[in-house]
Amino acid sequence: MTYLDSGTSMPNHGADSDSDESVLSLELRTTASTVSIPTIRTVAADLAARADFDLDSIDDLRMAVDDLCAMLVRIAAADATLYCTFTVRPERIEVAAETDVDDLADPLPTGSFAWRVLQCLADEVGATSVPAEPGRRGRVRITLAKDALTAPQP
Amino acid sequence: MTESTAVTASFGAQAGGYAHLIPLQRRYAELGVDDPDRKRQRERLISGYLPVAEHIARRFAGRGEPLDDLIQVATLGLINAVDRFEPARGSHFLSFAVPTITGEVRRHFRDYGWSTRVPRRLKDLHIAIRRALAELSQQLGRAPRPSEIAERLGVPVSEVIEGLQAGEAYRTSSLDEMLGAGQDAPTLGDFIGGLDDALALIDDREALRPLLAELAPREQMILALRFFHQLTQTQIAEHVGISQMHVSRVLRQTLTFLRHRMSNSV
Repeated sequence: MTYLDSGTSMPNHGADSDSDESVLSLELRTTASTVSIPTIRTVAADLAARADFDLDSIDDLRMAVDDLCAMLVRIAAADATLYCTFTVRPERIEVAAETDVDDLADPLPTGSFAWRVLQCLADEVGATSVPAEPGRRGRVRITLAKDALTAPQP
Repeated sequence: MTESTAVTASFGAQAGGYAHLIPLQRRYAELGVDDPDRKRQRERLISGYLPVAEHIARRFAGRGEPLDDLIQVATLGLINAVDRFEPARGSHFLSFAVPTITGEVRRHFRDYGWSTRVPRRLKDLHIAIRRALAELSQQLGRAPRPSEIAERLGVPVSEVIEGLQAGEAYRTSSLDEMLGAGQDAPTLGDFIGGLDDALALIDDREALRPLLAELAPREQMILALRFFHQLTQTQIAEHVGISQMHVSRVLRQTLTFLRHRMSNSV
């Protein structure tokens, strides 16, 4: 995972999949504000529905993206931008979201309640960060992956 | 909010019409739970206050729900009010009952009413989808995919997706919607921007415990089934005996509530 300095746009995560026609990539760039979250989660749910996810998985993804964005918006620096990338693969959607943070300390929210919820809703979650330095904002990135079918528990 | 205040005011003027019920109310409250007279008194109270329920139901008429249904729902609210009212707290029964009944009718609209105009075709499709969803969940042992629903109904997948989105419009939320009973209940607007805090796990557990206790038993169970037992929404729906869509709604509301309260507790 590489990070670009703040002010530059999202790295091109879709680069490795350009040759694969069955992969759809979609990027959203919004202000890191709670106002954007309903739009982002609706996009996530719509992508999942069109990718023929089962209805449980569609709804789980919607809630996971909601939580993911809420987490980032909470720690985002003032006027920060929220970047979301959706990669729709066969039977799987990957979401990566990142934003700039002011905090000098490592602000990864992986111990939080919301994080546990996210772990339950998604099939994979991950978070990475670049700590802020004097004169440069830090950056936090959260990724999740959701499979098309939610297998019932025995 | 303004609605229930207005209703209270209009009843305040006629409270005399129900004055004879006040002593009955007090006596009823004093009767022991096992008192043989209790059932009769309860029925007298309920039928005495029936016009109140009907009056409130009429205020919600003309919004797409049959009046008969509204009166039934309002009557249910009245029965709840009679059962829950505590005269010892000093308030007049009507000032307790009116918000309770109004709340019940509102909940009915929230759960069963379409809050957005959706074309008839999509409404019918949505109903067909719900039915197919229930059947297919049973057969597949998991929630169906849109393509599976489309095949069952003999319609294009794109229409199923449209129908599912129409289902989202089944319930939109007002920012001023009350999320609990009573005058001081928070509104949805209070929750906007309510977010989690990066608490240590221990803090979370301690903070969560009382919040979970505040949830209704069914919400607690649904939350536990989803996040502790890792059941899917479809399995939960089957277990609890409600629709998957309802489970989804409960989960969303509960998570929003918890997230908000967790962030406030820090």
